[in-house]
Amino acid sequence: MQKKISIAILAIATVFLLAFSGPVGADTVKIGVIENLTGSMASLDQPSLNGVKLALKEINDAGGVLGKKVEIIVRDGKSDPATLATVVEEILGKGVSALTGLSDTTMVLAAAPAAQRMGVSFVSSGATSPSLPDEVGDCLFLEPFGDNVQAAAAAEYAYNDLGAKSVWVLYDKAMDYTYLLQRYFCDRFGGLGGAIISKATYQTGDTDFRAQITSLKSKKTLPDILFISSGPDEIGTIVKQVRDMGIKIPIVGGDGYDTPLLAKVAGPAAATDIYFTTHVALDSKGTKAFVENYNKMFGHPPENGFAALGYDAFKLIVNAVKNANSADPKAVKTALAATQGFKGVTGTINYPKGIRVPQKSVTIIKVDGGKFIFEKEVMPSEIPAP
Amino acid sequence: MSSTAYFFQQFINALSLGSIYALVTIGLAMVFSILRLINFAHGDLMMIGSYAILMLFNAGLPVWTAILAGVAISGITGIIMERLCYRPLRGSAEMNTLLTSFAVVVLLENGAVLFFGPNTQPFGILNFIQPTLAVGSLLISKIDAITVVLTLAILILTALFIKKTTLGISMRAVADDLTASQLVGIPLNRVIVSAFFIGSLFAGLAGLLWSARAGKIFPLMGFIPVVKAFVAAVIGGFGSIPGAVIGGYVLGFAEVFFVALLPPDFQGYRDAFVFVLLIIILLVRPQGILGAKAMERRI
Repeated sequence: MQKKISIAILAIATVFLLAFSGPVGADTVKIGVIENLTGSMASLDQPSLNGVKLALKEINDAGGVLGKKVEIIVRDGKSDPATLATVVEEILGKGVSALTGLSDTTMVLAAAPAAQRMGVSFVSSGATSPSLPDEVGDCLFLEPFGDNVQAAAAAEYAYNDLGAKSVWVLYDKAMDYTYLLQRYFCDRFGGLGGAIISKATYQTGDTDFRAQITSLKSKKTLPDILFISSGPDEIGTIVKQVRDMGIKIPIVGGDGYDTPLLAKVAGPAAATDIYFTTHVALDSKGTKAFVENYNKMFGHPPENGFAALGYDAFKLIVNAVKNANSADPKAVKTALAATQGFKGVTGTINYPKGIRVPQKSVTIIKVDGGKFIFEKEVMPSEIPAP
Repeated sequence: MSSTAYFFQQFINALSLGSIYALVTIGLAMVFSILRLINFAHGDLMMIGSYAILMLFNAGLPVWTAILAGVAISGITGIIMERLCYRPLRGSAEMNTLLTSFAVVVLLENGAVLFFGPNTQPFGILNFIQPTLAVGSLLISKIDAITVVLTLAILILTALFIKKTTLGISMRAVADDLTASQLVGIPLNRVIVSAFFIGSLFAGLAGLLWSARAGKIFPLMGFIPVVKAFVAAVIGGFGSIPGAVIGGYVLGFAEVFFVALLPPDFQGYRDAFVFVLLIIILLVRPQGILGAKAMERRI
């Protein structure tokens, strides 16, 4: 009901904005930023937007690009695919050179096709499905690594470093990201010789996971690890309920864990013996300047790796504008596709010919007593096909 | 874990989930039985209660004081809601009050987004009672135990209240026939306000238990519980308070045992199976489990 009303209002607002936005000004380079600033994805997308703002400030302080200031056009997708599909049209109507944002595959799938139709590049700052560029088209670029890379890294880490030989899997059936991540993980873990004891599922928005956890407890032999493939809004609750029910088995997961909510919702006692893969370690040497500047601008250190991803994705686009020597979306797209050796906070980006997913290393973080501790940076030895 | 122990563990899960549903549903049923009003804003009272508890706790109040005060705030909000939104519409068509309740939902939820911010906040104030209780090979989380015992106590008190006290008897009389009870001099406003107050107190308490289980709160958190409570009320027979309790537990058990018994690929579709069950119950017993035949005419 409420959703429908808000969609109707947005639709009307879009019509008005399109009607009155007037001719596209040529005195700034416009870049669209679409993020879920409210709703279930907000704990990833808000830091991502902050990263964009920091990059914008640095670029404009250094004189902008092509002799012009850079301007961002930001819209909130409310973690709702229908809203995203509407607001992306609004941004495209402003004549942007390229678009960035979003930390989830399902959300990008809702927003990016509109950009593809207009021939405007969409650099996904945080969505990680390696098949996204094929599903959307030649305008879609991934800034982070693909899920197959991070899942393989998690599987190899679990098998080799944690010595795990068996796993129990719990995943969210309603998200592309959580489904794909566990599929790639099982591929690689099985390939190494590990056993998948069984799987259980739930849906985004669930708050009670006790029935699934009890079915795990009923297994004759308990697994060595739990692989829980979850988005940022549920993971804290799941970890809390797993530990509440007396299960102390290590938990392994992906970059959906990289949110302050994990430790805050689960509590420090429960948020222990958890290992996850993500994009960057914010306590390492290479990120020092980024962390300091972020702290200066927002009054607190970056919440998670998504801040760095938003920062990198934005600089990647501006870099392409510079290389293209034009703010025209087509030229920017060609320049993006030719990106070689772009050094970001989260790693180096190369797009080999025809491939729009970069090969980047994976950071493994350990959670102990609610604290995120850098474990290591790895490149998996074998990666499942997308 | 043996299969008996497994069954009992799932039984406890279902009992604690059902208890929360029962608490929410009673309030919904109490108001409906008197006013024929399905108050969809009932779930938002859970949200208001939880936010009030968290804010008072963060302001430095001791845990239990914050909880009591927060639950009381939820109850008072219920009274204000009745006075401002439903009393002016009393006697108008049921469709009008139903639509009003949706308006109240939009108002409260968006108000909460403005006031508390749109994002999920951790709710860990009951984390100090984390440790689990070991009974034989069973591990029971203390929150679950508290939920079940507290709900049972409340159910007994509610039953006594409705059967024995003057106010409770008046409530039943008004539910039975509003006009006739006014003719014999039952103070209608007092009965209605009490029903809202008691139902909202229960909602506040259910909000606390719900948030403590999930460990988080957010402005739209009341939506799913109120839909579930609506289903529970329909299953039990709308307007019947014992029916509300039975409906709550049936729903809790259905949700947990669908997950326990379904193959993994279907567990994620738990709610779909629950709604199929609802359709079957309605086909076999359109008035719900405890609904009176006469209810059909009134609804």
